[in-house]
Amino acid sequence: MPVQLAEQPYRIRITRSAGEGIAKVPQEYTVPLEDRMTVLDALFRIQREQDASLTFRCACRVGMCGTCAISVNGIPRLACRTRIRTLDAGPIQLAPLPNLPVIQDLAVSLDPFFEQWKRIRPAFRPKDPESQELARVPATSAYARHTPEKRDCITCGICYGACGVKSTSGEYLGPAAINKAYLRLMDPRDIAIEERMAPLNEERGGVWRCHTQFNCTAACPKGITLTDSITRLKRAMLSPRKFEKL
Amino acid sequence: MKYLRQFSGQTAQVVQRVSGVLLLVYLFLHVRTIHELSRGPEAFDAALLTFRNPLFKTLELGLFATVILHALNGIRITLIDLGIGQERQRRLFWVYSVGIGAVIFLAGAIPLVLAAMQRS
Repeated sequence: MPVQLAEQPYRIRITRSAGEGIAKVPQEYTVPLEDRMTVLDALFRIQREQDASLTFRCACRVGMCGTCAISVNGIPRLACRTRIRTLDAGPIQLAPLPNLPVIQDLAVSLDPFFEQWKRIRPAFRPKDPESQELARVPATSAYARHTPEKRDCITCGICYGACGVKSTSGEYLGPAAINKAYLRLMDPRDIAIEERMAPLNEERGGVWRCHTQFNCTAACPKGITLTDSITRLKRAMLSPRKFEKL
Repeated sequence: MKYLRQFSGQTAQVVQRVSGVLLLVYLFLHVRTIHELSRGPEAFDAALLTFRNPLFKTLELGLFATVILHALNGIRITLIDLGIGQERQRRLFWVYSVGIGAVIFLAGAIPLVLAAMQRS
């Protein structure tokens, strides 16, 4: 049952820790509920009025930067895009994003996420970097048909935190990196196929580790169909034609 | 329940793993029973008699449910890997694997139970 305004004030239970490997302690706060209040608003209110030591991160506050990704009632979400009224009644459980080392309280380090991101060589590599001509990507190409909705990644790390495979395999690339590799490999202008295929084909960290759980797709705040990217990439990698290039 | 709905794919994966292990346990039991044939028809009949009690009849229904769930979910996973029904994967699990699976289970389990009641 969603939270009712009449039920205010509201309880928020935050898993706090002084860092990775240090004991996590749940701490409960009571916050008066306001209409349209988001989890991020509640965190600010706690920090300003009750506990200045509470640590969390945010930047844009409008769901564009992905900085405020945390676990809300066990589900990785953006704190700034999660209205408290939409959550189930009862204490709201806030915890740092899973699968990433905690810096303090709700702030995690995204270093492991970007280490994997770098492994797939995310930068665009054209055939002729000096060329001034515009490349013509056919509207009928697989890149034009299947990738537009997959380009909105804000590297928030939510898919990384939600991924069940990532929780058991530290070497796994993770959904965001694989989606980025898919975009580059499908891009008919990009030529860096072999460099990207090496990490993607790795036994322990590559694309074949995905168990098609759809956790990444279910959690992605931008609605990117990450599992679709992964399964499309798997099929393309098995295809003799592999990737269309200009 | 909200978590299960949102993360149906993970639920489906856990169901597939658990049902797979259960079927593996059953296969060992099955091969062990069939092996009794090598000791003659009497030994095999004696082994089969072990399973003619209410506990094993109930487990038989459990086996039937496990086989259906594992088979339908396996087909679902294959379809998804082939790029079919990705956008409807939640519905595929709850309606196709669980819903249709339940209908097939009832269609098979009711005659089994009725036959067992008539015999007893």
